[in-house]
Amino acid sequence: MALKRIQKELNDLQRDPPASCSAGPVGEDMFHWQATITGPNDSPYHGGVFFLSVHFPTDYPFKPPKVAFTTKIYHPNINGNGSICLDILRSQWSPALTISKVLLSICSLLCDPNPDDPLVPDIAHIYKSDRQKYNKLAREWTQRYAM
Amino acid sequence: GRHVIGETLQQLPYVYCHGSSQRRLCSVSQRLQQSAQLSTFLLELKTIVEVCMKSRAGSFAIPPPQYYSQLISEMETLGWDKIIFLDTNIQTLKLKAEDSSGRQHTLSIKLKSKHPAEAPECSADLPVPLNLTWTPQSSLELLHSQFLLLLESLAEFWDVLDEIDQKTWILEPEKPSRSDTVRRVAIGSNVSIRVEVDPRHPKMLPECCLLGAEHVVAPLRNKLNANMHIIECGICYSYRLGTAIPDQVCNDPRCGQPFHQACLYEWLRVLPSSRKSFSLMFGECPYCSKPITVKMVTQAV
Repeated sequence: MALKRIQKELNDLQRDPPASCSAGPVGEDMFHWQATITGPNDSPYHGGVFFLSVHFPTDYPFKPPKVAFTTKIYHPNINGNGSICLDILRSQWSPALTISKVLLSICSLLCDPNPDDPLVPDIAHIYKSDRQKYNKLAREWTQRYAM
Repeated sequence: GRHVIGETLQQLPYVYCHGSSQRRLCSVSQRLQQSAQLSTFLLELKTIVEVCMKSRAGSFAIPPPQYYSQLISEMETLGWDKIIFLDTNIQTLKLKAEDSSGRQHTLSIKLKSKHPAEAPECSADLPVPLNLTWTPQSSLELLHSQFLLLLESLAEFWDVLDEIDQKTWILEPEKPSRSDTVRRVAIGSNVSIRVEVDPRHPKMLPECCLLGAEHVVAPLRNKLNANMHIIECGICYSYRLGTAIPDQVCNDPRCGQPFHQACLYEWLRVLPSSRKSFSLMFGECPYCSKPITVKMVTQAV
């Protein structure tokens, strides 16, 4: 059942790809995908291409996919391991969501970080207290790791 | 000696009153006159009587006493409460049976005089042929339990048709019987849809035929054909899951998302916001978060 649904999501992605994201299986294993997000224009990540790994659980879509950045990124809700703090990847997951919608949510998280529920408190503090410094550091990391 | 025989013969016409017997009777009187000895005559009479008996056996066969004792013991094992009709010959029985949804059914049984060696004739109001197996060791109880199993295999079919009968305006048949697989449902003025449900696959897409004026029916037909193929479960994204189709639909008119019963149950089952009551699971639609109810399923997806 999971395989059929994943196959269907892949078909839909290929037929109607979202503007700033792409995704697809790495090899033969349909449960392991790679995704890319291009940094949104109105963010310090603009110009960067960020890679993510996607692992679908065997009981997908009853359980959310495991999504993590493989490209380093300077963001209050994404830590050094690439783990993403996003409610829809945990408690707010619903089978009504798709990997495409998840990637779009991550895009909007890049534009609008959530410093009140941070994964990296230092970055959240800088984001809240010195936005210019945050923008500068995020841009630097993007240039160094994502271009 | 002749006297006694003469008296007996006078009584014979009461026993054998049919034409052919009457003729035989004349010859019997003649033979009596001609017989030299009583024993020869009696032998002849025996033969004649046997021939008479045989010629009438077909029209009315009285079963041997064992038939009745056998039958009474079978009825006792079955339970008298299950017998709703018994004819005066004790050859035709009607047994009642209730399926798991509480529908009443009747099994009509016509027993043969060689019962239980010969299989009885059975009939019932079913959409499929009634194939019950019978061996000389079988009994009414075995027949009844086979019938119950058959009823259970058709329960889903009748559930589907009962739902159609409850929720729609049925034009035909006027009084649907349990064997009817077709319904003609009114869907507008002078427009109806003829739906035929497969008794063995009641949840599969039924045969549909729209009836009415072409200019009214054509747009409906196009809509039906277009939507038939895009229906998919909001969880597994397929139309068919085994034999099931996405027949659970979110009742919110702005949502209307269909789901398979098994998929929806599997999703709601583990959520803290869901709650169980008897065989129902109450939760939220994964798409619109409005309340949704699903019947519990025993097997996991």
